[in-house]
Amino acid sequence: MWRIRNVMQILLVYFLWDAVFSDPDRIVFGYDRAKILTYVLGLVFVKAFVLSARAADVAGEVSQGDLSNYLVKPVNYFKYWLVRDISSKVLNLTFALIEMFFLFLLLKPSFYIQTNILSLLGFVVSVVLAMFIYFTLIFINSSVSFWIPEAAWGVHFLVGVVIVEFLSGALFPLDLLPSTVQTALNLTPFPYLIFFPLQVYLGNVTGFAMIRGLLVCGVWVVLLFYVMSYVWRRGLKVYQAYGR
Amino acid sequence: MVDKLVSQLSVISDRLVSLLGFVKNKKRETNVLERVYYYFKIWLLMSKNSFLVMLTQKKLFALFLTGKLVRFAFFSAFLYYLVLGVDRLAGYSVGQTIFFFLTFNIVDVLAQFLFREVYRFRPLVVSGDFDLILTKPYRALFRALLGGADVIDLATIPLLIAALVYVGSSLNPTVFHTFLFTLLLINGLLISAAFHIAVLALGIITLEIDHTIMIYRDLTNLGRLPVDIYKQPLRGIITFFIPVGIMITLPAKALMGLVTFYGVLFSFVLGITAIGLSLRFWDFALKHYTSASS
Repeated sequence: MWRIRNVMQILLVYFLWDAVFSDPDRIVFGYDRAKILTYVLGLVFVKAFVLSARAADVAGEVSQGDLSNYLVKPVNYFKYWLVRDISSKVLNLTFALIEMFFLFLLLKPSFYIQTNILSLLGFVVSVVLAMFIYFTLIFINSSVSFWIPEAAWGVHFLVGVVIVEFLSGALFPLDLLPSTVQTALNLTPFPYLIFFPLQVYLGNVTGFAMIRGLLVCGVWVVLLFYVMSYVWRRGLKVYQAYGR
Repeated sequence: MVDKLVSQLSVISDRLVSLLGFVKNKKRETNVLERVYYYFKIWLLMSKNSFLVMLTQKKLFALFLTGKLVRFAFFSAFLYYLVLGVDRLAGYSVGQTIFFFLTFNIVDVLAQFLFREVYRFRPLVVSGDFDLILTKPYRALFRALLGGADVIDLATIPLLIAALVYVGSSLNPTVFHTFLFTLLLINGLLISAAFHIAVLALGIITLEIDHTIMIYRDLTNLGRLPVDIYKQPLRGIITFFIPVGIMITLPAKALMGLVTFYGVLFSFVLGITAIGLSLRFWDFALKHYTSASS
Protein backbone atom coordinates (compact mmCIF):
# COMPACT_ATOMS: atom_id res chain seq x y z
CA MET A 1 0.00 0.00 0.00
CA TRP A 2 2.87 2.38 0.80
CA ARG A 3 4.11 1.88 -2.74
CA ILE A 4 0.74 2.99 -4.14
CA ARG A 5 1.09 6.13 -2.06
CA ASN A 6 4.57 6.65 -3.46
CA VAL A 7 3.29 6.33 -7.04
CA MET A 8 0.57 8.92 -6.37
CA GLN A 9 3.15 11.38 -5.06
CA ILE A 10 5.25 10.80 -8.19
CA LEU A 11 2.18 11.34 -10.40
CA LEU A 12 1.58 14.76 -8.83
CA VAL A 13 5.14 15.85 -9.59
CA TYR A 14 5.11 14.23 -13.04
CA PHE A 15 1.95 15.98 -14.22
CA LEU A 16 3.10 19.26 -12.74
CA TRP A 17 6.26 19.20 -14.85
CA ASP A 18 4.39 17.77 -17.82
CA ALA A 19 2.16 20.88 -17.72
CA VAL A 20 5.19 23.16 -17.43
CA PHE A 21 6.83 21.47 -20.43
CA SER A 22 3.70 21.19 -22.58
CA ASP A 23 5.82 22.79 -25.32
CA PRO A 24 8.44 20.06 -26.04
CA ASP A 25 11.08 22.58 -27.16
CA ARG A 26 10.85 24.65 -24.00
CA ILE A 27 13.86 24.92 -21.68
CA VAL A 28 13.18 26.05 -18.11
CA PHE A 29 15.67 26.26 -15.20
CA GLY A 30 18.23 24.60 -17.52
CA TYR A 31 16.08 21.50 -18.11
CA ASP A 32 14.43 20.32 -21.29
CA ARG A 33 11.36 18.04 -21.27
CA ALA A 34 13.33 14.77 -21.41
CA LYS A 35 15.66 15.74 -18.57
CA ILE A 36 12.96 16.97 -16.21
CA LEU A 37 10.79 13.88 -16.75
CA THR A 38 13.86 11.70 -16.25
CA TYR A 39 14.45 13.56 -12.98
CA VAL A 40 10.85 12.84 -11.88
CA LEU A 41 10.93 9.17 -12.82
CA GLY A 42 14.45 8.86 -11.41
CA LEU A 43 12.91 9.91 -8.09
CA VAL A 44 11.06 6.58 -7.94
CA PHE A 45 14.34 4.71 -8.09
CA VAL A 46 16.51 6.98 -5.92
CA LYS A 47 13.85 7.48 -3.24
CA ALA A 48 13.30 3.72 -3.06
CA PHE A 49 17.00 3.22 -2.45
CA VAL A 50 17.89 6.19 -0.26
CA LEU A 51 14.78 7.15 1.70
CA SER A 52 13.38 3.71 2.48
CA ALA A 53 14.95 3.15 5.89
CA ARG A 54 13.72 0.89 8.64
CA ALA A 55 16.02 2.69 11.09
CA ALA A 56 13.18 5.13 11.74
CA ASP A 57 11.83 2.44 14.11
CA VAL A 58 14.86 2.85 16.39
CA ALA A 59 13.12 5.75 18.17
CA GLY A 60 10.26 3.43 19.17
CA GLU A 61 12.67 0.80 20.49
CA VAL A 62 14.43 3.39 22.64
CA SER A 63 11.26 5.01 24.00
CA GLN A 64 9.59 1.67 24.79
CA GLY A 65 12.66 0.09 26.33
CA ASP A 66 13.00 -2.61 23.65
CA LEU A 67 16.58 -1.48 23.10
CA SER A 68 17.53 -3.48 26.23
CA ASN A 69 16.97 -6.73 24.29
CA TYR A 70 19.82 -5.81 21.94
CA LEU A 71 22.17 -4.35 24.52
CA VAL A 72 22.52 -7.74 26.23
CA LYS A 73 23.25 -9.55 22.95
CA PRO A 74 26.60 -9.75 21.15
CA VAL A 75 25.20 -7.70 18.25
CA ASN A 76 26.41 -4.40 16.89
CA TYR A 77 23.21 -2.34 16.93
CA PHE A 78 24.27 -0.06 14.03
CA LYS A 79 25.20 -2.97 11.79
CA TYR A 80 21.99 -4.76 12.72
CA TRP A 81 19.89 -1.80 11.54
CA LEU A 82 22.07 -1.24 8.51
CA VAL A 83 21.38 -4.81 7.39
CA ARG A 84 17.66 -4.38 8.03
CA ASP A 85 17.80 -1.15 6.01
CA ILE A 86 19.51 -2.85 3.09
CA SER A 87 16.98 -5.68 3.04
CA SER A 88 14.18 -3.11 3.07
CA LYS A 89 15.84 -1.25 0.22
CA VAL A 90 16.08 -4.42 -1.88
CA LEU A 91 12.35 -4.93 -1.39
CA ASN A 92 11.56 -1.31 -2.23
CA LEU A 93 13.87 -1.36 -5.22
CA THR A 94 12.11 -4.41 -6.64
CA PHE A 95 8.76 -2.65 -6.34
CA ALA A 96 10.26 0.56 -7.74
CA LEU A 97 11.43 -1.26 -10.87
CA ILE A 98 7.94 -2.74 -11.38
CA GLU A 99 6.37 0.69 -10.86
CA MET A 100 8.83 2.27 -13.30
CA PHE A 101 7.87 -0.34 -15.88
CA PHE A 102 4.15 0.43 -15.53
CA LEU A 103 4.69 4.18 -15.40
CA PHE A 104 6.63 3.94 -18.65
CA LEU A 105 3.86 1.93 -20.27
CA LEU A 106 1.20 4.32 -18.99
CA LEU A 107 2.86 7.70 -19.51
CA LYS A 108 5.28 6.97 -22.36
CA PRO A 109 7.53 9.82 -21.16
CA SER A 110 10.53 11.35 -22.89
CA PHE A 111 13.52 9.85 -21.10
CA TYR A 112 17.17 10.82 -21.01
CA ILE A 113 19.45 7.79 -21.12
CA GLN A 114 22.92 8.44 -19.76
CA THR A 115 25.60 6.64 -21.78
CA ASN A 116 28.74 8.09 -20.16
CA ILE A 117 30.32 5.35 -18.02
CA LEU A 118 31.90 7.85 -15.59
CA SER A 119 28.56 9.57 -14.97
CA LEU A 120 26.86 6.22 -14.42
CA LEU A 121 29.61 5.16 -12.02
CA GLY A 122 29.39 8.51 -10.22
CA PHE A 123 25.63 8.07 -9.95
CA VAL A 124 25.95 4.62 -8.33
CA VAL A 125 28.60 5.86 -5.85
CA SER A 126 26.57 8.96 -4.97
CA VAL A 127 23.44 6.88 -4.34
CA VAL A 128 25.35 4.53 -2.01
CA LEU A 129 26.85 7.50 -0.12
CA ALA A 130 23.38 9.10 0.07
CA MET A 131 22.08 5.91 1.64
CA PHE A 132 24.71 6.18 4.42
CA ILE A 133 23.99 9.89 4.94
CA TYR A 134 20.29 9.17 5.38
CA PHE A 135 20.98 6.23 7.68
CA THR A 136 23.10 8.35 10.02
CA LEU A 137 20.62 11.25 9.91
CA ILE A 138 17.76 8.94 10.89
CA PHE A 139 19.82 7.42 13.71
CA ILE A 140 20.69 10.87 15.09
CA ASN A 141 16.99 11.82 14.91
CA SER A 142 15.96 8.65 16.69
CA SER A 143 18.48 9.30 19.46
CA VAL A 144 16.30 12.21 20.59
CA SER A 145 14.15 9.49 22.24
CA PHE A 146 16.82 9.04 24.93
CA TRP A 147 16.04 12.52 26.24
CA ILE A 148 12.47 13.16 25.02
CA PRO A 149 10.82 9.75 24.46
CA GLU A 150 7.41 11.19 23.61
CA ALA A 151 8.77 13.55 20.94
CA ALA A 152 10.57 10.99 18.78
CA TRP A 153 7.83 10.71 16.16
CA GLY A 154 7.56 14.53 16.08
CA VAL A 155 11.27 14.90 15.32
CA HIS A 156 11.05 12.24 12.62
CA PHE A 157 8.08 14.06 11.06
CA LEU A 158 9.87 17.40 11.09
CA VAL A 159 13.31 16.28 9.89
CA GLY A 160 12.84 12.86 8.27
CA VAL A 161 9.64 13.71 6.42
CA VAL A 162 9.17 17.47 5.93
CA ILE A 163 12.71 18.85 5.73
CA VAL A 164 14.22 15.91 3.86
CA GLU A 165 11.34 15.84 1.35
CA PHE A 166 11.82 19.48 0.37
CA LEU A 167 15.51 20.12 0.83
CA SER A 168 16.74 16.88 -0.74
CA GLY A 169 15.08 17.58 -4.07
CA ALA A 170 12.52 14.78 -3.66
CA LEU A 171 9.74 17.11 -4.74
CA PHE A 172 11.46 19.44 -7.22
CA PRO A 173 14.97 20.06 -8.60
CA LEU A 174 16.65 22.46 -6.20
CA ASP A 175 18.12 24.61 -8.98
CA LEU A 176 14.80 26.40 -9.44
CA LEU A 177 15.45 28.11 -6.10
CA PRO A 178 17.39 31.43 -5.97
CA SER A 179 21.16 30.97 -6.08
CA THR A 180 21.67 32.27 -2.51
CA VAL A 181 19.28 29.61 -1.18
CA GLN A 182 21.07 26.96 -3.24
CA THR A 183 24.44 28.05 -1.85
CA ALA A 184 23.09 27.82 1.69
CA LEU A 185 21.52 24.42 1.00
CA ASN A 186 24.80 23.06 -0.35
CA LEU A 187 26.29 23.57 3.11
CA THR A 188 23.85 20.95 4.47
CA PRO A 189 23.77 17.20 3.75
CA PHE A 190 20.22 17.27 2.32
CA PRO A 191 20.90 18.00 -1.39
CA TYR A 192 23.29 15.02 -1.48
CA LEU A 193 20.43 12.61 -0.74
CA ILE A 194 18.43 12.95 -3.97
CA PHE A 195 19.33 16.05 -5.96
CA PHE A 196 23.05 15.43 -6.37
CA PRO A 197 22.79 11.77 -7.54
CA LEU A 198 20.16 12.72 -10.12
CA GLN A 199 22.27 15.65 -11.34
CA VAL A 200 25.17 13.25 -11.83
CA TYR A 201 22.95 10.86 -13.80
CA LEU A 202 21.60 13.67 -15.99
CA GLY A 203 25.16 14.79 -16.76
CA ASN A 204 24.60 18.24 -15.22
CA VAL A 205 27.49 17.61 -12.81
CA THR A 206 30.56 16.11 -14.45
CA GLY A 207 34.35 15.96 -14.16
CA PHE A 208 35.93 17.84 -11.28
CA ALA A 209 32.53 19.08 -9.96
CA MET A 210 31.34 15.47 -9.74
CA ILE A 211 34.46 14.32 -7.88
CA ARG A 212 34.24 17.29 -5.53
CA GLY A 213 30.56 16.49 -4.88
CA LEU A 214 31.38 12.86 -4.15
CA LEU A 215 34.12 13.95 -1.76
CA VAL A 216 31.69 16.25 0.05
CA CYS A 217 29.28 13.29 0.33
CA GLY A 218 32.09 11.21 1.83
CA VAL A 219 32.93 13.96 4.31
CA TRP A 220 29.27 14.15 5.36
CA VAL A 221 29.14 10.38 5.87
CA VAL A 222 32.22 10.45 8.14
CA LEU A 223 31.11 13.57 10.00
CA LEU A 224 27.55 12.33 10.57
CA PHE A 225 28.86 8.90 11.62
CA TYR A 226 30.96 10.52 14.36
CA VAL A 227 28.05 12.71 15.46
CA MET A 228 25.79 9.64 15.50
CA SER A 229 28.28 7.63 17.59
CA TYR A 230 28.78 10.53 20.00
CA VAL A 231 25.05 11.21 20.46
CA TRP A 232 24.37 7.47 20.82
CA ARG A 233 27.01 7.06 23.53
CA ARG A 234 25.64 10.07 25.42
CA GLY A 235 22.13 8.69 25.00
CA LEU A 236 23.04 5.27 26.36
CA LYS A 237 24.28 6.93 29.55
CA VAL A 238 20.83 8.40 30.21
CA TYR A 239 18.89 5.37 28.92
CA GLN A 240 16.58 4.05 31.65
CA ALA A 241 14.69 1.32 29.74
CA TYR A 242 11.29 2.87 30.29
CA GLY A 243 8.51 0.32 29.94
CA ARG A 244 10.73 -2.62 30.89
CA MET B 1 -79.30 27.27 9.32
CA VAL B 2 -77.69 23.83 9.30
CA ASP B 3 -75.64 24.80 6.24
CA LYS B 4 -74.42 27.91 8.05
CA LEU B 5 -73.49 25.85 11.11
CA VAL B 6 -71.64 23.29 8.98
CA SER B 7 -69.70 25.97 7.13
CA GLN B 8 -68.78 27.69 10.44
CA LEU B 9 -67.69 24.35 11.90
CA SER B 10 -65.61 23.63 8.85
CA VAL B 11 -63.89 27.05 9.14
CA ILE B 12 -63.22 26.43 12.83
CA SER B 13 -61.84 22.93 12.16
CA ASP B 14 -59.63 24.28 9.34
CA ARG B 15 -58.26 26.93 11.67
CA LEU B 16 -57.73 24.35 14.40
CA VAL B 17 -55.89 22.05 12.01
CA SER B 18 -53.66 24.86 10.80
CA LEU B 19 -53.07 25.97 14.40
CA LEU B 20 -52.17 22.42 15.42
CA GLY B 21 -49.87 22.14 12.40
CA PHE B 22 -48.16 25.39 13.36
CA VAL B 23 -47.69 24.20 16.95
CA LYS B 24 -46.38 20.84 15.70
CA ASN B 25 -43.96 22.50 13.28
CA LYS B 26 -42.81 24.90 15.97
CA LYS B 27 -42.24 21.99 18.33
CA ARG B 28 -40.32 20.13 15.64
CA GLU B 29 -38.14 23.18 14.99
CA THR B 30 -37.48 23.54 18.71
CA ASN B 31 -36.59 19.84 18.89
CA VAL B 32 -34.15 20.15 15.99
CA LEU B 33 -32.51 23.17 17.59
CA GLU B 34 -32.33 21.35 20.91
CA ARG B 35 -30.70 18.35 19.24
CA VAL B 36 -28.19 20.56 17.46
CA TYR B 37 -27.36 22.32 20.74
CA TYR B 38 -27.13 18.95 22.53
CA TYR B 39 -24.65 17.60 19.97
CA PHE B 40 -22.73 20.88 19.90
CA LYS B 41 -22.25 20.69 23.67
CA ILE B 42 -21.00 17.10 23.37
CA TRP B 43 -18.66 18.10 20.54
CA LEU B 44 -17.24 20.94 22.64
CA LEU B 45 -16.67 18.56 25.54
CA MET B 46 -14.98 15.92 23.39
CA SER B 47 -12.86 18.53 21.62
CA LYS B 48 -11.78 20.01 24.95
CA ASN B 49 -10.70 16.55 26.14
CA SER B 50 -8.85 15.93 22.89
CA PHE B 51 -7.04 19.29 23.15
CA LEU B 52 -6.08 18.61 26.76
CA VAL B 53 -4.55 15.26 25.81
CA MET B 54 -2.48 16.89 23.06
CA LEU B 55 -1.46 19.86 25.19
CA THR B 56 -0.03 17.60 27.88
CA GLN B 57 2.68 16.81 25.31
CA LYS B 58 3.80 20.34 24.59
CA LYS B 59 7.06 19.37 22.85
CA LEU B 60 5.27 17.01 20.49
CA PHE B 61 2.65 19.66 19.81
CA ALA B 62 5.35 22.24 19.03
CA LEU B 63 7.21 19.83 16.71
CA PHE B 64 4.13 18.85 14.71
CA LEU B 65 2.93 22.43 14.44
CA THR B 66 6.38 23.54 13.26
CA GLY B 67 6.46 20.65 10.78
CA LYS B 68 3.10 21.59 9.31
CA LEU B 69 4.00 25.27 9.04
CA VAL B 70 7.39 24.50 7.50
CA ARG B 71 5.81 22.16 4.93
CA PHE B 72 3.24 24.80 4.03
CA ALA B 73 5.93 27.49 3.69
CA PHE B 74 8.20 25.24 1.59
CA PHE B 75 5.47 24.23 -0.84
CA SER B 76 4.25 27.84 -1.19
CA ALA B 77 7.82 28.98 -1.89
CA PHE B 78 8.28 26.18 -4.43
CA LEU B 79 5.08 27.15 -6.30
CA TYR B 80 6.02 30.81 -6.18
CA TYR B 81 9.48 30.29 -7.70
CA LEU B 82 8.18 27.73 -10.18
CA VAL B 83 5.38 29.89 -11.61
CA LEU B 84 7.65 32.94 -11.51
CA GLY B 85 10.17 31.05 -13.64
CA VAL B 86 7.69 29.63 -16.16
CA ASP B 87 5.39 32.70 -16.22
CA ARG B 88 2.09 30.70 -16.06
CA LEU B 89 1.08 27.19 -15.01
CA ALA B 90 -1.61 25.65 -17.24
CA GLY B 91 -2.72 29.21 -17.97
CA TYR B 92 -2.89 30.32 -14.32
CA SER B 93 -0.86 33.18 -12.84
CA VAL B 94 1.29 33.01 -9.66
CA GLY B 95 -1.54 34.42 -7.53
CA GLN B 96 -4.10 32.01 -8.97
CA THR B 97 -1.82 28.98 -8.52
CA ILE B 98 -1.11 29.94 -4.91
CA PHE B 99 -4.86 30.39 -4.38
CA PHE B 100 -5.52 26.84 -5.63
CA PHE B 101 -2.92 25.61 -3.14
CA LEU B 102 -4.47 27.62 -0.30
CA THR B 103 -7.95 26.28 -1.12
CA PHE B 104 -6.57 22.75 -1.00
CA ASN B 105 -5.01 23.52 2.37
CA ILE B 106 -8.13 24.98 3.95
CA VAL B 107 -10.26 21.97 2.89
CA ASP B 108 -7.55 19.55 4.00
CA VAL B 109 -6.88 21.25 7.34
CA LEU B 110 -10.58 21.71 8.18
CA ALA B 111 -11.21 18.04 7.38
CA GLN B 112 -8.29 16.94 9.55
CA PHE B 113 -9.33 19.27 12.35
CA LEU B 114 -12.92 17.98 12.39
CA PHE B 115 -12.46 14.32 11.41
CA ARG B 116 -9.19 13.41 13.17
CA GLU B 117 -11.00 10.76 15.24
CA VAL B 118 -11.33 8.62 12.10
CA TYR B 119 -7.58 7.88 12.38
CA ARG B 120 -8.20 6.40 15.84
CA PHE B 121 -11.23 4.30 14.92
CA ARG B 122 -9.54 1.01 14.06
CA PRO B 123 -8.40 0.09 17.61
CA LEU B 124 -11.99 0.61 18.81
CA VAL B 125 -13.34 -1.90 16.29
CA VAL B 126 -10.51 -4.40 16.70
CA SER B 127 -10.73 -4.43 20.49
CA GLY B 128 -14.53 -4.36 20.58
CA ASP B 129 -14.47 -1.10 22.57
CA PHE B 130 -16.81 0.31 19.95
CA ASP B 131 -19.57 -1.46 21.97
CA LEU B 132 -19.13 1.21 24.65
CA ILE B 133 -19.83 3.93 22.11
CA LEU B 134 -22.90 2.15 20.77
CA THR B 135 -24.47 2.20 24.24
CA LYS B 136 -24.08 5.96 24.67
CA PRO B 137 -27.10 8.29 24.19
CA TYR B 138 -25.81 9.83 20.96
CA ARG B 139 -25.19 8.63 17.44
CA ALA B 140 -22.17 6.35 17.17
CA LEU B 141 -21.22 7.97 13.88
CA PHE B 142 -21.05 11.37 15.58
CA ARG B 143 -18.53 10.04 18.07
CA ALA B 144 -16.50 8.09 15.49
CA LEU B 145 -16.34 11.00 13.05
CA LEU B 146 -16.17 14.14 15.19
CA GLY B 147 -15.05 12.80 18.55
CA GLY B 148 -11.48 14.14 18.60
CA ALA B 149 -10.83 17.51 16.98
CA ASP B 150 -7.14 18.19 16.32
CA VAL B 151 -5.69 21.20 18.11
CA ILE B 152 -2.61 21.31 15.82
CA ASP B 153 -4.79 21.85 12.78
CA LEU B 154 -6.93 24.34 14.69
CA ALA B 155 -3.80 26.42 15.29
CA THR B 156 -3.11 26.66 11.55
CA ILE B 157 -6.67 27.61 10.49
CA PRO B 158 -6.51 31.38 11.31
CA LEU B 159 -3.22 31.68 9.40
CA LEU B 160 -4.69 29.90 6.39
CA ILE B 161 -7.85 32.02 6.39
CA ALA B 162 -5.74 35.18 6.55
CA ALA B 163 -3.63 33.93 3.60
CA LEU B 164 -6.79 32.99 1.65
CA VAL B 165 -8.30 36.44 2.20
CA TYR B 166 -5.04 38.18 1.27
CA VAL B 167 -4.33 36.19 -1.92
CA GLY B 168 -8.04 35.91 -2.81
CA SER B 169 -8.62 39.65 -2.60
CA SER B 170 -5.68 40.27 -4.95
CA LEU B 171 -7.67 38.33 -7.60
CA ASN B 172 -10.41 41.01 -7.40
CA PRO B 173 -13.46 38.74 -6.97
CA THR B 174 -17.05 40.03 -6.96
CA VAL B 175 -19.29 39.58 -3.90
CA PHE B 176 -21.27 36.91 -5.77
CA HIS B 177 -18.13 34.95 -6.66
CA THR B 178 -16.90 35.14 -3.06
CA PHE B 179 -20.30 33.86 -1.88
CA LEU B 180 -20.15 31.02 -4.43
CA PHE B 181 -16.61 30.18 -3.33
CA THR B 182 -17.77 29.90 0.30
CA LEU B 183 -20.74 27.71 -0.65
CA LEU B 184 -18.61 25.41 -2.80
CA LEU B 185 -16.01 25.20 -0.04
CA ILE B 186 -18.72 23.98 2.36
CA ASN B 187 -19.82 21.54 -0.35
CA GLY B 188 -16.21 20.33 -0.63
CA LEU B 189 -16.14 19.76 3.10
CA LEU B 190 -19.39 17.82 2.80
CA ILE B 191 -17.80 15.53 0.19
CA SER B 192 -14.79 15.13 2.45
CA ALA B 193 -17.12 14.17 5.32
CA ALA B 194 -18.75 11.60 3.02
CA PHE B 195 -15.32 10.09 2.29
CA HIS B 196 -14.47 9.89 5.97
CA ILE B 197 -17.82 8.24 6.77
CA ALA B 198 -17.24 5.72 3.97
CA VAL B 199 -13.76 4.99 5.39
CA LEU B 200 -15.27 4.37 8.85
CA ALA B 201 -17.89 2.06 7.37
CA LEU B 202 -15.24 0.19 5.41
CA GLY B 203 -13.24 -0.04 8.62
CA ILE B 204 -16.08 -1.87 10.39
CA ILE B 205 -16.40 -4.38 7.55
CA THR B 206 -12.73 -4.94 6.70
CA LEU B 207 -10.87 -3.62 9.81
CA GLU B 208 -8.73 -1.61 7.38
CA ILE B 209 -8.62 2.14 8.03
CA ASP B 210 -5.07 3.48 8.05
CA HIS B 211 -4.20 2.77 4.44
CA THR B 212 -7.62 3.72 3.11
CA ILE B 213 -7.50 7.11 4.77
CA MET B 214 -3.92 7.72 3.61
CA ILE B 215 -4.87 6.84 0.03
CA TYR B 216 -7.75 9.30 0.31
CA ARG B 217 -5.27 11.93 1.49
CA ASP B 218 -2.85 11.18 -1.33
CA LEU B 219 -5.67 11.53 -3.83
CA THR B 220 -6.75 14.85 -2.35
CA ASN B 221 -3.09 15.91 -2.48
CA LEU B 222 -3.47 15.85 -6.26
CA GLY B 223 -5.74 18.86 -5.67
CA ARG B 224 -2.80 20.96 -4.47
CA LEU B 225 -2.68 22.12 -8.06
CA PRO B 226 -5.58 22.83 -10.45
CA VAL B 227 -6.86 19.56 -11.93
CA ASP B 228 -6.43 21.13 -15.39
CA ILE B 229 -2.76 20.09 -15.32
CA TYR B 230 -3.63 16.39 -15.33
CA LYS B 231 -4.24 14.46 -18.51
CA GLN B 232 -7.23 12.24 -19.26
CA PRO B 233 -8.30 9.78 -17.95
CA LEU B 234 -6.73 10.87 -14.62
CA ARG B 235 -8.37 14.29 -14.85
CA GLY B 236 -11.80 12.70 -15.34
CA ILE B 237 -11.25 10.30 -12.45
CA ILE B 238 -10.24 13.01 -9.98
CA THR B 239 -12.99 15.34 -11.15
CA PHE B 240 -15.99 13.02 -11.11
CA PHE B 241 -15.16 9.60 -9.66
CA ILE B 242 -13.02 10.77 -6.73
CA PRO B 243 -14.17 14.38 -6.90
CA VAL B 244 -10.98 16.15 -5.81
CA GLY B 245 -11.63 18.67 -8.57
CA ILE B 246 -15.09 19.46 -7.21
CA MET B 247 -13.85 19.59 -3.62
CA ILE B 248 -10.89 21.87 -4.25
CA THR B 249 -10.41 23.16 -7.79
CA LEU B 250 -14.02 24.21 -8.40
CA PRO B 251 -14.36 26.51 -5.33
CA ALA B 252 -11.13 28.27 -6.31
CA LYS B 253 -12.32 28.61 -9.90
CA ALA B 254 -15.63 30.03 -8.62
CA LEU B 255 -13.77 32.86 -6.93
CA MET B 256 -12.00 33.56 -10.22
CA GLY B 257 -15.34 33.56 -12.05
CA LEU B 258 -14.42 30.51 -14.12
CA VAL B 259 -17.36 28.18 -13.37
CA THR B 260 -20.64 27.59 -15.17
CA PHE B 261 -24.10 27.34 -13.60
CA TYR B 262 -24.31 23.62 -14.48
CA GLY B 263 -20.90 22.99 -12.96
CA VAL B 264 -22.05 24.52 -9.66
CA LEU B 265 -25.38 22.65 -9.76
CA PHE B 266 -23.64 19.36 -10.48
CA SER B 267 -21.21 19.84 -7.59
CA PHE B 268 -24.05 20.45 -5.10
CA VAL B 269 -25.96 17.41 -6.37
CA LEU B 270 -22.78 15.37 -6.05
CA GLY B 271 -22.14 16.63 -2.51
CA ILE B 272 -25.64 15.77 -1.31
CA THR B 273 -25.60 12.39 -3.09
CA ALA B 274 -22.18 11.55 -1.62
CA ILE B 275 -23.25 12.29 1.94
CA GLY B 276 -26.52 10.35 1.46
CA LEU B 277 -24.74 7.30 0.06
CA SER B 278 -22.06 7.36 2.75
CA LEU B 279 -24.71 7.46 5.50
CA ARG B 280 -26.47 4.46 3.97
CA PHE B 281 -23.13 2.66 3.75
CA TRP B 282 -22.52 3.43 7.44
CA ASP B 283 -25.92 1.99 8.38
CA PHE B 284 -25.15 -1.10 6.31
CA ALA B 285 -21.72 -1.52 7.95
CA LEU B 286 -23.13 -1.05 11.43
CA LYS B 287 -25.44 -4.02 10.88
CA HIS B 288 -22.35 -6.11 10.14
CA TYR B 289 -20.42 -5.07 13.24
CA THR B 290 -19.61 -8.31 15.06
CA SER B 291 -18.35 -6.89 18.35
CA ALA B 292 -15.41 -9.32 18.13
CA SER B 293 -12.90 -9.37 21.05
CA SER B 294 -15.32 -7.70 23.44
